[in-house]
Amino acid sequence: MPREIAVLDAYMPTIVLLFLAGAALTWFVDRILAFTGLYSFVWHPSLFRASLLVCVCGVLGLAVYR
Amino acid sequence: MSTPSSAQPTPSWSLAALYEAAADWAQHDGRTWIYLFKALAAAFLSLAIAMKLEMPQPRTAMTTVFIVMQPQSGAVFAKSFYRAGGTLVGLVVMLALLALFPQQPELFILATALWVGICTAGAARNRNFRSYGFVLAGYTAALIGIPASQHPDGALLSALTRVSEVLLGIVCAGVVSALVFPQHTGEQLRGTVRARFSSFVEYVGMVLGGRIERAQIEATNAQFIADIVGLEAMRSMAVFESPSARLRSGRLSRLNSEFMAASTRFHALHQLMNRLHMASAWSTIDTLEPYFKEIAPLLRKSGEPVLSAADANAAATQLEAYKTALPKRIRATRAELETTHPDAPLLDFDTASELLYRFVEDLHAYTATYASLAVMSHERERWAERYEPKTNLLSAGISGVRAAIVMCVLGAFWIATAWPSGTTLTLNAAAICALASSSPNPPRTAWQMALGTVLSSALAMLLTFGIYPHIDGFPLLCVALAPFLLLGVWMTTRPKLAGYGVGYCIYFCFLAGPDNLIVYDPMSFMNDALALVLSMLVTAFAFAVLLPPSSTWMRRRLLVDLRRQAVSVARGRLAGLRSRFESGTRDMMFQINALASEPAQKRETLRWLFAVLEVGNAIIDLRRAIDTLPHEPRYAASMPWRVQLRAMRDAVGKLFETPDARRLDRALIATTDAIAAVQQTLAAFDPPRAERHQLQRILSHAHFIRSALLDPQSPLGEMAAPGAPASSTTPSPPQGASDAS
Repeated sequence: MPREIAVLDAYMPTIVLLFLAGAALTWFVDRILAFTGLYSFVWHPSLFRASLLVCVCGVLGLAVYR
Repeated sequence: MSTPSSAQPTPSWSLAALYEAAADWAQHDGRTWIYLFKALAAAFLSLAIAMKLEMPQPRTAMTTVFIVMQPQSGAVFAKSFYRAGGTLVGLVVMLALLALFPQQPELFILATALWVGICTAGAARNRNFRSYGFVLAGYTAALIGIPASQHPDGALLSALTRVSEVLLGIVCAGVVSALVFPQHTGEQLRGTVRARFSSFVEYVGMVLGGRIERAQIEATNAQFIADIVGLEAMRSMAVFESPSARLRSGRLSRLNSEFMAASTRFHALHQLMNRLHMASAWSTIDTLEPYFKEIAPLLRKSGEPVLSAADANAAATQLEAYKTALPKRIRATRAELETTHPDAPLLDFDTASELLYRFVEDLHAYTATYASLAVMSHERERWAERYEPKTNLLSAGISGVRAAIVMCVLGAFWIATAWPSGTTLTLNAAAICALASSSPNPPRTAWQMALGTVLSSALAMLLTFGIYPHIDGFPLLCVALAPFLLLGVWMTTRPKLAGYGVGYCIYFCFLAGPDNLIVYDPMSFMNDALALVLSMLVTAFAFAVLLPPSSTWMRRRLLVDLRRQAVSVARGRLAGLRSRFESGTRDMMFQINALASEPAQKRETLRWLFAVLEVGNAIIDLRRAIDTLPHEPRYAASMPWRVQLRAMRDAVGKLFETPDARRLDRALIATTDAIAAVQQTLAAFDPPRAERHQLQRILSHAHFIRSALLDPQSPLGEMAAPGAPASSTTPSPPQGASDAS
């Protein structure tokens, strides 16, 4: 994947867009996990969620920088 | 800083006592300390990142942290969400203004003043954190725009970096408060909901058992109102915090609204019984008394008090069974009463039994919703009615106009004198106007912030010119900043010092916040400090003298608004009307109490609240009952009894608008006429059973309104002339043949 993408003729780092997508994806996954009740078994739900965000964004970032 | 907790009377150093003292400390002071260090950590984190990224003003990020930081993570998220939104809106507006008036400072200041005025009015109109979005939309616009207007060529870039600094501060505050020893609003919410259910059950038990004083009833109800407003605020924060709270959000707001309905109904029932006692209507009281005794045990689970949402299921089932059986039993009792006491006023019995049934219904709904909280998702979640916190439109408008005037005055001063610190002067006036007018007592808040700023200027001077030259490196910088910032954050945790603390924290960072390349310029530092203090003083002065809604005046206005609520229910859609009415009225009451200083004033407001709630609810019930009647000519809106009912509604409305003895008389006459007209309709048409019950219900609602107007304990009853027929609770017209059952 290219490292920069032209959005409306302005160059943007691809990972900015990827991280936005990652945040949306995490939110979606988070809702599903909350609905299944998984969070009642998690020690620190906020930490879990923050880590989930980092993991998702990191994996997406691999698509560009690898 | 910390007060010695749980003093030990004897020097017995047993392990248990020590443990107890430590637990107590951790419970109270420990939390404060954790919060202090969380705030510091978030501030230093944002400072470090901003410096590493070589942002032009790392201090903006640090200031943002102190603006959004709150002890509970839900509150931080809510505040951050609105701050981010407000910042972006402010950015867009300011870019537009900058593009429109790059060469005309006068027009630019005017347009900015207008925008700040609008935002301040919005902040005063809304409550909770939504108001914060407005504050920030105005404040950020000034923060970004006014400095950028000095260099129109670099305005876009400077505005964008300012926004990214603000967003960095928000993210740091959110991350630290969620990850490091988080204090969840959700837990507090659970505790409040549970405690309120228990205390309501206890209250119901005590009142029905007749073991409660008037003063205690008032105190308990005032507590309930504070709880209702608090719960709504907590719910709106907890939604941001965890998915489990989000899944329950609808039920929580339903719980709140059902609780309001149940407590109003219960109070109405209690008042009615009091009036019957005063009128010595013993036959009615004796027949109803056994029912009251049955309610309290229903709220227990096999004799034990209900402690958790899961236990409430049993109580809900019991209540439902009781509710289903109730109408039949009441009809039997009524028939019995008719045979044993043929002269007893059946209207009183009908009114009381109708209220009892409605109360049981509301109580069942409340209990069932409470029980439903135990599970993750539930059908009771579907709830469209919303809580309505809104402040008085006039007072919000006044805040907006005042903010605009202050901005214009300071802007004119800036343009006239070409003071280099004019930017600071104007932009802080905007910030303080907005921040203060969303607080309960704006003049005091503005004044406290000004004093906090004076203190912060002195200390910032000491830090900048006394300590910064001797240190090197980020760790030392943190060490140097820590004691100064700790003092400010600690002040924000004490309710009495909060205003000082906010001013101190924000402006300490503004003045002494380090940049990557520190410029030691005492002249501009002092100019800035002077501008800060000056803008605060002007704002505080404006709050005190300009368009002064003194708290007494404001309180009277709000009291009129509160009374108007009783009239407002006569119009508007019926769907969701009750919950709009109940929440709006209580919220207004809460605002009035924030302004009241003496307990006597608070008691007066509370009594008005009860009068408004009783009459307003009766009018809603009346409208509902009329709505469900079939479409037949005899129930048409032009029929005399409907006309009489409308006349009653108007007379009562006028009475609530400006209460006096003459209007009270007129309202009473109108009510009596309406009751007579409905009774006549009942007698003349002899409608089928279902419709007759409906008409009897209408009759009992009208009768209830009449008895509420006559209540000697309500502020209306006091108004009655001494010779008025305040002793009778039943109207003079005979019950007539209508009551053949």
